[in-house]
Amino acid sequence: MTFKRRATALAGAGLLALGVAACGDSETKTVTVSAAPASGTADDSGRKVTIIASVPPTDHGWLGAISKNAKAAADKFQDVEFSLLEAADADSQAQQIEQAIARKPDALVVLPQDGEALTPVAQKAERAGIPVVNIDRLFSKPDAATSTILGDNYQIGVLAAGYIAEQLKCQGNVVEIQGLAGISVTEDRSKGFTDELKKRCPNGGVKVVARQPGDFNPDTGLKVMENILQAQKKIDAVYTHDDDMAQGVVQAIRNAGRDDEMFLTGVGGSQDAMKQIAAGGLYRATFLYNPNMAASAVNMARLIAKGEGFPELVPPEVPRQVVVPAATVTKENVAEYEEYAFN
Amino acid sequence: MSTVADRPQPRGIARLRGLELQEYALALVVVALFVTGAILKPDTFPTWDNIRNMLTQASVIGVLAVGMTFVIATAGIDLSVGSMVAAAGVFGGIMVDPEGGSLLFIVSAIAFATLMGTVNATAVAYGRVVPFIATLAMFSIGRGVALLLNDKLPVGLLDLNGGSFGDPAAFSLLWFGTGRVLGLPVSVYVFLGVTVAGWVLLNRTRYGRYVVAVGGNREAARIAGVPVRRVIFSVYALSGLLAGIATVLLCARLGSASPVSGNLYELDAIGAVVIGGTSLAGGRATIVGTFLGVLTFALIFSLMTQLNLSTEVQQVTKGAIVLGAVLLQRPESRW
Repeated sequence: MTFKRRATALAGAGLLALGVAACGDSETKTVTVSAAPASGTADDSGRKVTIIASVPPTDHGWLGAISKNAKAAADKFQDVEFSLLEAADADSQAQQIEQAIARKPDALVVLPQDGEALTPVAQKAERAGIPVVNIDRLFSKPDAATSTILGDNYQIGVLAAGYIAEQLKCQGNVVEIQGLAGISVTEDRSKGFTDELKKRCPNGGVKVVARQPGDFNPDTGLKVMENILQAQKKIDAVYTHDDDMAQGVVQAIRNAGRDDEMFLTGVGGSQDAMKQIAAGGLYRATFLYNPNMAASAVNMARLIAKGEGFPELVPPEVPRQVVVPAATVTKENVAEYEEYAFN
Repeated sequence: MSTVADRPQPRGIARLRGLELQEYALALVVVALFVTGAILKPDTFPTWDNIRNMLTQASVIGVLAVGMTFVIATAGIDLSVGSMVAAAGVFGGIMVDPEGGSLLFIVSAIAFATLMGTVNATAVAYGRVVPFIATLAMFSIGRGVALLLNDKLPVGLLDLNGGSFGDPAAFSLLWFGTGRVLGLPVSVYVFLGVTVAGWVLLNRTRYGRYVVAVGGNREAARIAGVPVRRVIFSVYALSGLLAGIATVLLCARLGSASPVSGNLYELDAIGAVVIGGTSLAGGRATIVGTFLGVLTFALIFSLMTQLNLSTEVQQVTKGAIVLGAVLLQRPESRW
């Protein structure tokens, strides 16, 4: 009975998918045709495309860099009309995207506040023939986006664990200051760290003695670290989930006069962090979570809208998913990465 | 809700007794939390170092809560203190960036917060906007201003240090956060000073009696010759001024001013005032209770972080302790 029902549902879904695919195809074709006459000239094909981006409030260094990079990327193209919307929460972001769909843009770039919650509205856009490029936080259904560009949060945790295990030679006490509790970014950064630490140091010599959320916020980071410093008499390394928040953690350690006892790592790649890494001392490394993915998303949205595809790939197709790898930034290689730093 | 006025006793004395009872009950909660901490974490919790840490952490919310006590005493509320802290910090930050001294930061942050408090005050006292709405608007405006002032970026303030870390020069900005005098951080002196001043103002001056009278029965106070509007105006301005002082303490410890700081501080301040025994309906206020309420929050936070409890557990525990504290200190006679 249940099997039968499931089979029917699957068949239905399959039909639906076919329908969507068919729609998508014809859509792509018309775009290709209209863009074809001018396709010889590179950037200024004459046909303007409108791209609307929707992102969470950019009150945080990394998100600020996301919106700046997106705008900068759009400015480079004379054939792109770009607007950026910010939404305070998932609900208002959904409403905002609804309104954006009504404006019939050629493509949408969406960094969802909450991937799960914004999946239906993204599906609606796709069904309306507006391709969606999803960044950073994944939608929960594959038909909600034409293409997806993600940072690798799990790998960030893996890299951090690798770095810390190596520095400590698998022996010492570690504190983890997490991001906002209950979002996938935090969970992935934490899980990658825990898994890799187990793998690297099977003897269990590296102990995570405290694990608390600092909400990606410097003053919460400061307060939480102040208390952890009281509770832990010996700390060798601190893994923080974010460079902005890490500034508060750094300050707590310095205020306590314990900066010789331990070192700290961040995530993101902010100018401040890179400066401190270059100077040496407490701040030893950060793991790049490149906000340039917003620029890539705008580029990709433009290519999809024009039906051109990636120049180096067979047009007009674009990759379904791009995962931007994380990188370890330390004093040795910080010079290479300084150009990607955001403030 | 029944009030003390319903009972036949002389009003002033009855009020005092009820409040004193609540203060004792809350003092008991504070002691119980401390003892619990000492049992669970004997090596790290009851240490002088940790007591100093808890007092330092309490100082920011503590200063805000003193202002909040006056506001709530008039049956008002100030939802904007956290946003004012963020906006005043960033404003002070851009004033001293790239050149400027600690004094300029302190003066401009306090002035900016006071100005914002004055806007609240004008709206409530003269515009007759309900306090909840006026300060909710400022909650939003303040956060927006904090983000607009420096293009959403934090401003670094370490250059105002004037000394090395952990040992800031006297009267530099960081000195207010981490400098010590006779073993206690300067911020704790500021907190205690504000608390004592608040106590004197509320309990030993005519102004304090006016504040409570306005909250108790506005019409009666007006007939008795209390300048009701001016009193209401003053408490919101005072709340702004104290938000400015709290800003200085926070930024001094953090070494930077961030537009996202002060998030939901108003709730902690209101929580501390209410578990302290000040009535949200106005007319009853206690600075001692507020002080103990602030200590309760600081103890809970420190203990839970030391026990490495997860956020979910922390949230449930904090809520339960607040509820328990309020229930415990409710005198039966008031039902």
